[in-house]
Amino acid sequence: MTPINKANIEYLAGLARIELKDAEKEKLLGDLTNILNHFEELKEVDTKNVEPMTGGTLLTNIERKDEIDTERLGKGKSGFPETKKGYLKVPPVFED
Amino acid sequence: MDLKGLTIKKFSEGLKKKEFSTEEGVNAFIKTIEEKNSELNAFLKFDLEVHKERALEKAKELDKTIAAGKPVGKLAGVGLGIKDVILIEGTRATASSKILEKYTASYDATVIRKLKDADALFLGKTNLDEFAMGSSTENSAFGVTKNPYDTNLVAGGSSGGSAAAVASDMVLGALGSDTGGSIRQPAAFCGVVGLKPTYGAVSRYGLMAMASSLDQIGPFGKTVEDAAILFSKIAGNDPYDATSYAIDYKNITEPDFKEIKNLTIGVPDEYFVEGLEKEVGDEIHRVIEELKSQGFKFKKISLPHTKYALSCYYIVQPAEVSTNLSRFDGIRYGTREKAKNLLELYKKDKSEGFGPESKHRIILGTFVLSSGYYDAYYNKAQRVRALIKQDFDEAFKDVDVVLTPVTPTLPFKIGEKTMDPLQMYLSDIFTVPANLAGIPGISIPVKGRVGKLPVGFQLMAPRWREADILGIGMYYERN
Repeated sequence: MTPINKANIEYLAGLARIELKDAEKEKLLGDLTNILNHFEELKEVDTKNVEPMTGGTLLTNIERKDEIDTERLGKGKSGFPETKKGYLKVPPVFED
Repeated sequence: MDLKGLTIKKFSEGLKKKEFSTEEGVNAFIKTIEEKNSELNAFLKFDLEVHKERALEKAKELDKTIAAGKPVGKLAGVGLGIKDVILIEGTRATASSKILEKYTASYDATVIRKLKDADALFLGKTNLDEFAMGSSTENSAFGVTKNPYDTNLVAGGSSGGSAAAVASDMVLGALGSDTGGSIRQPAAFCGVVGLKPTYGAVSRYGLMAMASSLDQIGPFGKTVEDAAILFSKIAGNDPYDATSYAIDYKNITEPDFKEIKNLTIGVPDEYFVEGLEKEVGDEIHRVIEELKSQGFKFKKISLPHTKYALSCYYIVQPAEVSTNLSRFDGIRYGTREKAKNLLELYKKDKSEGFGPESKHRIILGTFVLSSGYYDAYYNKAQRVRALIKQDFDEAFKDVDVVLTPVTPTLPFKIGEKTMDPLQMYLSDIFTVPANLAGIPGISIPVKGRVGKLPVGFQLMAPRWREADILGIGMYYERN
């Protein structure tokens, strides 16, 4: 059984904040069905006593001093599409 | 000045002997880009003029410094191409995506700072599959990059622009990023050297994050030695990337070949399987025979979970992508569509800004992380990933280095695989294991393929053992 259908593609797109056209949904449904079928092979692997590998690092803490880098401070703001009084401006969160 | 086959090493020697000036060098790079880029599309058009002016200005400064008899950096005048997911302050950084078409970087990536400190020059930003997702550069919003050996063929991906730029002598070297093979596969397709360093060897500060547990920045060069030179300049710990380590890579550009010759090379059966094109397989065996005849010891090994690496990768990678790409929402970077509220803004920006493959992976990633499927897919894949790493750990008790093909096929035709993502993903089958295990891998062109399409072979080593694969590579290219 394929766990994916048109309805849950729409649901997932909603979660991801993407609007899909009908043709895009059809194509995605076909492609994802193929890929999820391919993933079925993982069921053959016995992972009962295996801990999941949750990252690429060696899982040791790397620390640095919590200091402000004045040279770089505020530089990210130059890319803001809209600002007001030096702050990032966004459209209303709630409708009127 | 002839750039054909000119390496970083030879360029630096020529500069030292005053055979040419850095300004002459820059003009030669610019001329070659002007001649070849309209056909190959290796460099993106955005801010190409700005990069050119900056490079010329810097070259003039360097020439003055040299004329005054003062020392210059190890990469003085060396022209490089930078994959457009790495930030250079004050210039466009698009990730070959419409969503970032108007975004200008506000700071330098750490690798860029380091290369600037070594007096390298940047000739422009190179093309890629949108957000580095793809194996052919066909997912770029700004046109496909063509293979310099045959323009009907793909240059590979996702760092296809960087590989093609180096292969066509537009620059002496380049940077790419490798999440599942995005440096090694295009290097193999374009006949250049590409190194994916150990996870944590190079700072990723200023690299647009795609799949954070897999991404690494690495160099392209015309020779293994050049790749080693660039790697030695970008490696190292950076307080701005807490996954980066301080490893001593001293003498990595000058290996002790006596020690290198003592390394044992493992060849895993699991990489010589159905789907491996005969011509590629034959060439890999020719490399093995040549290295054997030079005295290298070989051993058969087994990496039993190799078969599952692709499925594992295409669960873990989209999961991380769906998280990382959520930041491109029209709020902070570049363009913003008109919208009456925040939700509409998100939807408009993402729907119009992301290309089909990005949407595909975001949806797939959202699915494998969603409640009810998390255990069956994501959690399962993370466990399989642990087994893949364990395979390598076991193998490296027996051998020092592993030798495999890089790609199952020769470079394929433009358009051949675009309709079937699964077929496209299968071109990453031999490169994803190194990313999943966090180990270094290098793609080296097989010698003696004059008049034929390039083939690459891959060497992988335990974490932090870049010296071994670079050393064997340098030995192979010199003997």
